[in-house]
Amino acid sequence: MKEIIMPKFGFTQETAEVVAWLVGEGDVVEAGDPLLEVTTDKINMEVEAPVDGILAGVRVKVGDVVPVTEIIAYLLEPGESLPQDALTGPVVVEAPPTGGTATPVAARVAADLGVDLTKVSGSGSGGRITRQDVEGFATGAKNGQTPAEKVRATPAARRIARERSVDLVQVAGSGPRGRIQEADVLAFQPAAADRGLVEAAIEPLPAGDYRVVPMTNMRRSIGQNLQQSWQQAPHIMFQADIDMTAVEALLVKGNHRLSPDEPKITITAAVTRAVAWTLQDHPWLNSRLVESENEIHLMSHINIGIAVALEDGLIVPVVKDANMKGMKRLNEEIRDLAVRARSNQLKPDDISGGTFSISNLGMFGVDRFTAIINPPQAAILAVGRTKSMFVPDDKGQPVVRPICNMTLSADHRVVDGAVAARFMQDLRLALEAPETMLL
Amino acid sequence: MRELTYKDALNEALFQVMKADERVFCIGEDIGVYGGAFGVTAGLIEEFGEERVVDTPISEAGIAGACVGSAVTGMRPVGEIQFMDFVTISMEQLVLQAAKIRFMFGGKATVPMVLRMPGGSGTGAAAQHSESLENWFVHVPGLKVVMPSSPYDAKGLLLAAIEDDNPVIFIEHKLLYKTKGHVPEEMYTVPLSDTKVVREGRDITVVATSIMVNRALEAAEQLAAEGIEVEIIDPRTLNPLDEEPIIRSVIKTGRALIVHEAVKTGGYGGELVSRIMESEAFDYLDAPIRRLAGLDIPIPYNRTLEYHTVPQIESIVSEVKRIVRGEV
Repeated sequence: MKEIIMPKFGFTQETAEVVAWLVGEGDVVEAGDPLLEVTTDKINMEVEAPVDGILAGVRVKVGDVVPVTEIIAYLLEPGESLPQDALTGPVVVEAPPTGGTATPVAARVAADLGVDLTKVSGSGSGGRITRQDVEGFATGAKNGQTPAEKVRATPAARRIARERSVDLVQVAGSGPRGRIQEADVLAFQPAAADRGLVEAAIEPLPAGDYRVVPMTNMRRSIGQNLQQSWQQAPHIMFQADIDMTAVEALLVKGNHRLSPDEPKITITAAVTRAVAWTLQDHPWLNSRLVESENEIHLMSHINIGIAVALEDGLIVPVVKDANMKGMKRLNEEIRDLAVRARSNQLKPDDISGGTFSISNLGMFGVDRFTAIINPPQAAILAVGRTKSMFVPDDKGQPVVRPICNMTLSADHRVVDGAVAARFMQDLRLALEAPETMLL
Repeated sequence: MRELTYKDALNEALFQVMKADERVFCIGEDIGVYGGAFGVTAGLIEEFGEERVVDTPISEAGIAGACVGSAVTGMRPVGEIQFMDFVTISMEQLVLQAAKIRFMFGGKATVPMVLRMPGGSGTGAAAQHSESLENWFVHVPGLKVVMPSSPYDAKGLLLAAIEDDNPVIFIEHKLLYKTKGHVPEEMYTVPLSDTKVVREGRDITVVATSIMVNRALEAAEQLAAEGIEVEIIDPRTLNPLDEEPIIRSVIKTGRALIVHEAVKTGGYGGELVSRIMESEAFDYLDAPIRRLAGLDIPIPYNRTLEYHTVPQIESIVSEVKRIVRGEV
């Protein structure tokens, strides 16, 4: 008998959601056959049979959110039957693990911080709650989602919170820099019914007036990441109307040389080329803010994320070392990533390591827009459509030129206005005089 | 009730103990005919003669050394250092001899000596006559360090110090000599290592030493008018410290301010803060413990600068308010 566990695809992954079973109980499978499809925060994956066998004792159903390493089913050899304990006590997959499965240090820290362990999801083996989980929860709850700083509270406030089981995260501090003092804890009234209040605030509608769409992992993940970015990173925006005459001419020449079955090089590939080239001289735009370390990391590689719209979400696969590649190669890679993104074929490596992102919505006829920075990156470029516009030539006479609006969003904690402006200046040069990139 | 000045309380204690115990004698500069730079030994030479009230040359090492030697042989010397600043000359005798002998001889010898000295600023005597060096001695195991803040304690602690079989550094304050208070006529002792709550209050614990106890009491009066009740604690003996009353008080009030005249850096306040943090009082703290102490500079000669170099009533008032109002 072989146990099948929920695999861990990524470093930070804690759970996966079952999307579909591809085989049924009693089906005979061979090693390597896909058994079920699961989705993590970011991507869909297939779980393959580790050995030949007969599928039995399926413990999870579609829609269940399962902690990684949890047993989800068994593969039996012919003639073998399931042991008794495999049949009983199916895993609890609805609720995250509770206080009973916290490490001792996590339990102590939770007591110190006044954290309710039943609300913390564990990332340790078997979903065990670790110290990091507790600290992350304590800080996260206070700040919307992300760990940023610990709760400031006096020792007396902490003691009373402990004695009264008050979660300090929910207490507003009246001391200097929001420090929670004894009186704040004493005055704290836990919200009588948090849930009730929220529900009451939404006007109830009769069933049938709306269609229920469950919040998928991907939607949650998009929501959390972008809310965090929007709330924490002070966005500054820089717009430039860029004359695409030279780029279009270059693409015409380049595409003319392609064989008929090769995909045409797109504006996205050209912009990616120009951005990657420009980033070489602008490391601040190609950086990550690591707040927990109080450091800004200027990244050695230039890995460009390309936003791809999916039917039910959005994903940003990454072109690695984009500055080392020409437009044709970039075009092929972007195309490959987009195709695989839409068919759920991306690997974790395809969506990690990005250092700058590009979102091009020009094909939808959008003139200009702003994008939210994809954390922990420091900037994103929003590319609008290229449209014909009258502009004055160097003699002041009106001429028609293809003009594309590009809007850079940068994290002002890392990037200052002049730094971003110089980046846009060089990006304009790369696009309006692409031969510069040969120099 | 009979009132005496701090100086007269000390003087009376010396009179009484010298009458009662012939092993006790005084030694120092100008303590005989002149009666001491601040008059503490006035009249003693007339009563007890030059044998028991010994005027010395200007030699602080000699005074301390004579005390150590005579104490080891069974006398009960009370030395006087004219200004605490000059005790720096006596350090070898005090730190290497007085503090060590009892331990190094396995208890077969004791050094029952007292070295009196006035410390502190406020008389316009500048940097070399205004030091507060108590923590130098606190750092030496084997020495006891006593700092009375009232006439009653001055007499009782001096008699207890003379009674004690260990070397005691007895630090008086120049500005306290003329302060008055109740002092019983009979001989009595105030035990060493017996921390005293001098005023009760619920809002904040102020631990003060020497003249800062008096300033804290005045500050507490002003603060009480604004509804802030200050509990004031006087350790009286800095080492060995009776810490229990301090910890109990901080548990009650949840806040603490340490006030001393000596410079803040490396001062006794750091020790008090640590004792509180290491105790069960930690869990009751509702504000950072703060220290109000002398600035980290030598005492200036200019009277205005001197005034602002060390804690005053108004600075205690404002610091207490900042802590109690949660501004720090």
